Amino acid sequence: MKQFQKQFDDLLAYWPNEDPELRQLRLKAFDQFKNMGLPTKQWEDWQFTDFSSLEKSNYRLSHTKDFPQLPIKIAEHIPDSNLIVIINGHYQSDLSDIPDSISVATGLDYLKSNKDLDHKNSNPFTALNTSMMNSGLSVTIDSNVILEKPIQVIYAMMDISDPIMNHPRFVFQIGYNSQATIIEHYIGSTDMPYFINPVSNIIINNNSVLNHFRIEEEGALASHIASSNYSLGSDTQLNTVSISSGSKLFRHNINLNFNDKGGNASLNGLSTIRNDQHHDQNIIINHSHNTCQSHQLFKYILSDSSSGVFNGKVVVQEGTKHTDADQKNKNLLLSPKAIMNSNPQLEIYSEDVKCSHGSTTGQIDLEALFYLQSRGISKAKAIELIINGFAKEIIEQINNQGVKTYINTKVTNWLESVLIDV
Amino acid sequence: MLIIKNIHASVEEKEILKGINLSVEPGELHAIMGRNGSGKSTLANIITGRDNFIVTKGSITYNGNNLLDMATEDRALAGIFMSFQYPVAIPGVNNAYFLRAALNAKLKHHGKSEINAADFMRLMREKVKSVNLDESYLSRAVNDGFSGGEKKRNEILQMLTLEPELSILDETDSGLDIDALKTIAEGVNNFRNKNRSFLAITHYQRLLQYMHPDYVHVLIDGKIVKSGDIELANQLEKKGYSWLES
Repeated sequence: MKQFQKQFDDLLAYWPNEDPELRQLRLKAFDQFKNMGLPTKQWEDWQFTDFSSLEKSNYRLSHTKDFPQLPIKIAEHIPDSNLIVIINGHYQSDLSDIPDSISVATGLDYLKSNKDLDHKNSNPFTALNTSMMNSGLSVTIDSNVILEKPIQVIYAMMDISDPIMNHPRFVFQIGYNSQATIIEHYIGSTDMPYFINPVSNIIINNNSVLNHFRIEEEGALASHIASSNYSLGSDTQLNTVSISSGSKLFRHNINLNFNDKGGNASLNGLSTIRNDQHHDQNIIINHSHNTCQSHQLFKYILSDSSSGVFNGKVVVQEGTKHTDADQKNKNLLLSPKAIMNSNPQLEIYSEDVKCSHGSTTGQIDLEALFYLQSRGISKAKAIELIINGFAKEIIEQINNQGVKTYINTKVTNWLESVLIDV
Repeated sequence: MLIIKNIHASVEEKEILKGINLSVEPGELHAIMGRNGSGKSTLANIITGRDNFIVTKGSITYNGNNLLDMATEDRALAGIFMSFQYPVAIPGVNNAYFLRAALNAKLKHHGKSEINAADFMRLMREKVKSVNLDESYLSRAVNDGFSGGEKKRNEILQMLTLEPELSILDETDSGLDIDALKTIAEGVNNFRNKNRSFLAITHYQRLLQYMHPDYVHVLIDGKIVKSGDIELANQLEKKGYSWLES
């Protein structure tokens, strides 16, 4: 806590002439953070994850001297998408390509102009983010716009020489009757430990469609603690696929609120982890309006001594009609040392619902393995086919060819590297 | 070609096969008949090399090689195929992709070049017709959501594509209506030639009416108690198995 206090004081000193309202927001949020402290094993929704390393690591906030030597090309750029690049917390206009049909605000401009946006500090990490927001981006898509190309926001960490932290704030706002695809992509090409604590607020107004792909490929020693807050208007469609394979410690809170009738949300996730990686996803979907649908499918593939946590909750409020909600979590353990904690929950206070939930965790199906081998396919190839098949159900949910190809290649490469070690 | 000598085998320490002797030559179709629990499927499983079936005594050679020393995939590459009684569904694994991987493994094993996707699909379009399956099954996941009959046809489709020397048909007739049974029997009959052998495992002689076995063996309590020709199967149909039990 002392280290966070010092960093907070440094930040206040660094921006002495900051907008007073924003300053107040920071001070209040930091107080909230201090009061809550970091989550402990006694916190029900956080109990399977150990956050103590965050305090021990003495992260310092990124500042201008971390401005990197610009790489010539971003290898992770997904073809046919408009790129927005942030490196070590600093927006890179030279590498970005923003179409006229969207408005983008970055850095301090963003913080000043958006201080009135929803800054809920419901957990210590969102409070920490609000208090130390040091980079940010807002992307606004007007009403009646159909974006042809996806927007790919790359948040990269590279060439750092000591453990730094960043608290980026993203706002993705879709107007009325619009359609867009946003790729929120985290990459880390450094072996240095670092801490990324992003908060993304995603607002979809009436009759709009958003495809939101979130790709997490942080460095091996990174800690990535994120919150994605979705707010859906009437007759909206949200498709999300969250792929996570990087970072030593990963926690993602997904909060989704239907703010009007007729919203439809499909949330999917695939975690591929190995060594001593720990990935924790916590999803809360709040059905408080009529005729809304939510469908969740989250899968984990765990190798070595990795561990995973899935906590999903669907709440259907009293008096809500025609709710359709399902929640599935399926996990594949590739090693006897891998551990999965799965806890899908339904909290239903209404009678007019169609809800289901389920969770399965198991090893490779030996019947399937024998079947493939009995056709002359080698054991190694058979295992690869089965695991790829397991992942495919999520990858098939990606309705953009460029993203799908990118993820397919990543998953196949990951699998090959894991299976070489088997 | 396949020589089984005094095979004893156990599952979970329970002895199921108690001394089986059987010899299958190229071009022959042998029917193995018996009740549930007589050891028919165990025999199929030890020929294909399933893990939890333990051979405690005896030997099996295939074209002169010790089959029991070979891995399941190597047995398949050597020309042995089993049509499963309960084909497993493998979600996410595309049927055509899987079958091409299997065919390419075989081609590679025989030192031939692999088949490309376009040639493979041409081959498949022709093969699916012969088992009366729609082409759309090729792009579905292996056996996933298939009916019992569709699964069995998919097994025969794989047999026709991989062209094994020895095909074991494990209860291929079970759960099939008469039309599906005829389609499958026809597929097998067209596939028969002087080099290809079959072990047809079944409860009933129904399938055998269409398949014309060269030999019929009756398995009771882990032993072949009687061997004969199709006439033996007809007798079983009339009299049941009890007259053969000691």
